[in-house]
Amino acid sequence: MAKMKKKWIVLCSAAIGVIYASEYYASNAQAYLPQPGNQESLIAGNPLSGNSALSDEEGGSSSGSASAPPSTGAPSASPGPSSVNKLFNDGTYTGTGSNRRGSIQVAVTVKRDKITDVEISDFAMHYSESDVVDLPDEVLQKQSSRVDNVSGATYSTRAFEDAVADALSQAKIG
Amino acid sequence: MRTMRRTKLYMDTVVDIHVATVRPKEEADAAIERAFSAFRKVEDACSRFHPDSELMRACRRIGVPVPVGPYLFEPLRFAMELADWTNGVFDPTVGGTMEKFGFNRRYLTGDIADNPSDASAAYQDVEMDVRNRTLLLRKPTVIDLGAVAKGFAIDLAVRELSPFERFIVNAGGDLFAGGADGRYNVWNIGIRHPERRDESIQTVDISNEAICTSGSYERISAAADGVHHIVDPRTKRSPNVWVSCSVIAPYAMLADAFSTAAFLLGEEEALSLLEQAELRGVLVKPDLRIVKVGGM
Repeated sequence: MAKMKKKWIVLCSAAIGVIYASEYYASNAQAYLPQPGNQESLIAGNPLSGNSALSDEEGGSSSGSASAPPSTGAPSASPGPSSVNKLFNDGTYTGTGSNRRGSIQVAVTVKRDKITDVEISDFAMHYSESDVVDLPDEVLQKQSSRVDNVSGATYSTRAFEDAVADALSQAKIG
Repeated sequence: MRTMRRTKLYMDTVVDIHVATVRPKEEADAAIERAFSAFRKVEDACSRFHPDSELMRACRRIGVPVPVGPYLFEPLRFAMELADWTNGVFDPTVGGTMEKFGFNRRYLTGDIADNPSDASAAYQDVEMDVRNRTLLLRKPTVIDLGAVAKGFAIDLAVRELSPFERFIVNAGGDLFAGGADGRYNVWNIGIRHPERRDESIQTVDISNEAICTSGSYERISAAADGVHHIVDPRTKRSPNVWVSCSVIAPYAMLADAFSTAAFLLGEEEALSLLEQAELRGVLVKPDLRIVKVGGM
């Protein structure tokens, strides 16, 4: 019995260990190795961005404002979405979604036509009622004072889609 | 003590991080940012809704070993171990069935996923080579890591936040509550009532542990009657032995996977799975009777 418990604990702990070992390895030998855990460069279709993708990600949302994307070494040579058919300007945009009794504000970061970050910037301010957006109370910070937090079946992000669409409309080119 | 809270969207759910600490704000900010980036990396690797995810690129290659990175390999390996342990009651190749039931929409963009999958494919058709870290699919299939990836991301986030006195990572109702200060790190967590969403059906105290809940009251299929987001891979139906299964474990990936597996199993099998793994659980039957496991 105890052996079986140990099996699952060891698997979880080893899984986390592998990630940290690979990140450590990658950050110490970045210029020479592919980074197996990092998909950004592949998704962006830009093989040249591989080296800086880790730091790129870390700074992604904190760099905030609508500035140019961090240098990827050779941005002008990027085979990704070209300036001709690019859909969105890079940057962080605020969007608001309204519901029956209030609104939710999100900050959406777009980089190379991909949404790289969606932060709920302002919902506690607008919401005092919980039945509005189809989300359980704990999301709206109005949770019962009797418990610290709530566990339940995973709810979806549908309630935020209007706000995200609003932000993207501002990012849209043309 | 300063309390910080930030909320972002990943994996089609809301990821909410609280940190309370006397350490500098900048240090906590940076750690929270790294914790969120763990969710993005796991999502980029494991999403079956994103055609360019590492998972979906691998799923398009049949019959050849495909090298995969650790953000995909590790959660998939865990899912495969559990598939083996439950003789396929829990089976990550259920993704194709999920797509057919309408769980095929990429959140935020609304893009619809439609991938080839062989109805006869099962976890035995997935081969993982631990030494070479490759994945080989014998039949076209869509792998669904919905029961492990989020838990894995929580565990990686927790590692970033572990220096702080008190913190919580809640990803849409699956959470880890912990902290480095023994005096403060007991958390009283409510388990959502399956019918009255703003109430708890039960509360539990946890400390440096995860609690994950699988339930039938969210994410109902629009394409098939009586189907929700947990589907038995063999019958292609949603089981109704339970309406909610919560599992407490030292790791969120463990709690996440076992809460789903318990949901799929019959009453006796679910209890025995949790007992064998020495995990605590709170399981709720359709008549709202509560069954507790592991000395709750």
